[in-house]
Amino acid sequence: MRYLTFALGKGRLANQTLELFEKIGVTCEEMHDKDSRKLIFTNEELKLRFFLSKGPDVPTYVEYGAADIGVAGKDTILEEGRKVHEVLDLGFGKCRMCVCGYRQAASYLKHRELIRVATKYPHIAKDYFYNTRHQTVELIKLNGSIELAPIVGLSEVIVDIVETGSTLRENGLDVLEEVCPLSARMIVNPVSMRMESERINDLLSRLQAQL
Amino acid sequence: MKKLLHTPEGVRDIYNVECGKKQALEGRLKKTLHLYGYHDIQTPTFEYFDVFRKEIGTIPSKDLYKFFDKEGNTLALRPDITPSVARAAATLFGDETLPIRLCYTGNTFVNHSSYQGRLREVTQMGAEMIGDASVEADAEMLSMAVEAMLAVGLKEFQLNVGNLEFFESLLEDADLDEESAERVIELINNRNYYGAGEYLDSILVKRSSREAFAALGSLVGGIEVLVRAKNIAPNSKGLKAVKRLEKIYHTLRMYGVEKYITFDLSMTGVYGYYTGIIFRGYTFGTGDAVVKGGRYDRLLEKFGKSSPSIGFAIVIDELMNALVRQKIRIIYTRKNTIILYDGEKTKKAVALAKDFRSKAKNTELIKKAEDKSLEDYVEYGKEYYAGTLIYIRKSGNIRMINLITGEEKEISKEAEQPAGKMGAEI
Repeated sequence: MRYLTFALGKGRLANQTLELFEKIGVTCEEMHDKDSRKLIFTNEELKLRFFLSKGPDVPTYVEYGAADIGVAGKDTILEEGRKVHEVLDLGFGKCRMCVCGYRQAASYLKHRELIRVATKYPHIAKDYFYNTRHQTVELIKLNGSIELAPIVGLSEVIVDIVETGSTLRENGLDVLEEVCPLSARMIVNPVSMRMESERINDLLSRLQAQL
Repeated sequence: MKKLLHTPEGVRDIYNVECGKKQALEGRLKKTLHLYGYHDIQTPTFEYFDVFRKEIGTIPSKDLYKFFDKEGNTLALRPDITPSVARAAATLFGDETLPIRLCYTGNTFVNHSSYQGRLREVTQMGAEMIGDASVEADAEMLSMAVEAMLAVGLKEFQLNVGNLEFFESLLEDADLDEESAERVIELINNRNYYGAGEYLDSILVKRSSREAFAALGSLVGGIEVLVRAKNIAPNSKGLKAVKRLEKIYHTLRMYGVEKYITFDLSMTGVYGYYTGIIFRGYTFGTGDAVVKGGRYDRLLEKFGKSSPSIGFAIVIDELMNALVRQKIRIIYTRKNTIILYDGEKTKKAVALAKDFRSKAKNTELIKKAEDKSLEDYVEYGKEYYAGTLIYIRKSGNIRMINLITGEEKEISKEAEQPAGKMGAEI
């Protein structure tokens, strides 16, 4: 039998995924060893392999078939725009992609003014402003601490992930509009979906039963 | 000034062994198409933009390479070859009432966005049957695609076959508005049947429709899924779609290729011009389909001749990747014989090379440079996959080196053999 390879985004997402997998009897003892420096973990019994990668790289591994299955946030799937099958909403890691800024900035949105938008997700922001809102904007890509942008006057609004909204509130910012809801998704390589359809469908239906 | 010597992103040089293998592969695939009696056609690399416009249903027009000619017409590099062949067939064979079988090889160009690692120029080989709406035409295409895969040594692959009309019948029956239909198509394309079920619940679609969409995921497999599909089909259109697949299957059994066929009723088209049967070939080692095809009964009428047609294209570059990763050898026999000679022996070397070439042996004739050693040439021969190296020395002695086994033999001048015999030994 061929190995089925899983790509998991490092961090909380990976832990929650493994917890869910354990519930359906898919375990990987090797991964619990925190001191291990191994990059790839195997379950010989079920012929499964797991590896951890940076979240935004998960769809890339899956598109090329380097991994058959991946778990990634909807945000990275949208941003990367890879050709993968998004087969299941795992339900955890729930949050929202939002347009945020000072309350006064709402009028810029209302009148579709040319404003600057800072974000870590330029594709999502572009798609939202151009194709949904039909508003021309200037996009600025930042790599972190996006909330800073409106505070120091780099941009009028930001597009970012909002979980509880506490960081925003502490800095006097508000959610102005919701772009889309987000959560962890399971993605599958289109070729694997066909060539290994039996094993993958079995796994999916057992996971679905746990959700 | 910094010299710009590398190729642009997404295009590349293919050379040496890889190029030889690619051509060997193309040769073998083309042979299969010719065995089915298909005639070669070449269409231009670029056409008027209109040939690939949105209504035709090829890739989104923003992904086309577009440019202008001196008169201001918009031209486009072909992103796939089917629309070109359809245009050519509609104009060149406008009066032909019998089916036309055409096959082609050519490079296609898609302007993918950056950093996705996708090639922007890929070679496609395809076949089109113009003017035949029959089940037999469908089966011939499928069987030819299977045999092409077998001809290049693929063993583990499957051809997924669906019928767009089945999916359309479900959509019609569910009576969805445009927006929700799009959403459902997207979810089904993503194989997210649970998501589709939830969404259909949320917009209060009738129960039978909801169950039909949810069941799509299980309608993948052998002939047995067609039985189940018949029970799910909501109207006569859906039923007809399944029956068509059944008939195709029976014809495919006559060809003996049915074991490579997987029915997949949830398939939707890659290209907008597909109308009925669609199919895609999958194998390990590549993230994308290696064969893409389908029926396009309404495409030719956009070029002025109403003519039901079916065709497919093999993506040669993807297929090469798959073969390499599956460690399937592409048999490639073009091995050169190298004749190396010292300056004084030009006459003899040329005579020998002429003799070899007349016997259809590929012969590379090299005059030995004073400052290079025999070993240098042996290394060179090995690097470029030559089979044998023959060194004609100043003294008239000849050294034969088999570059594959490493075997060496020195033939002295006295025991000189006629060139013909030496040829036979190589």
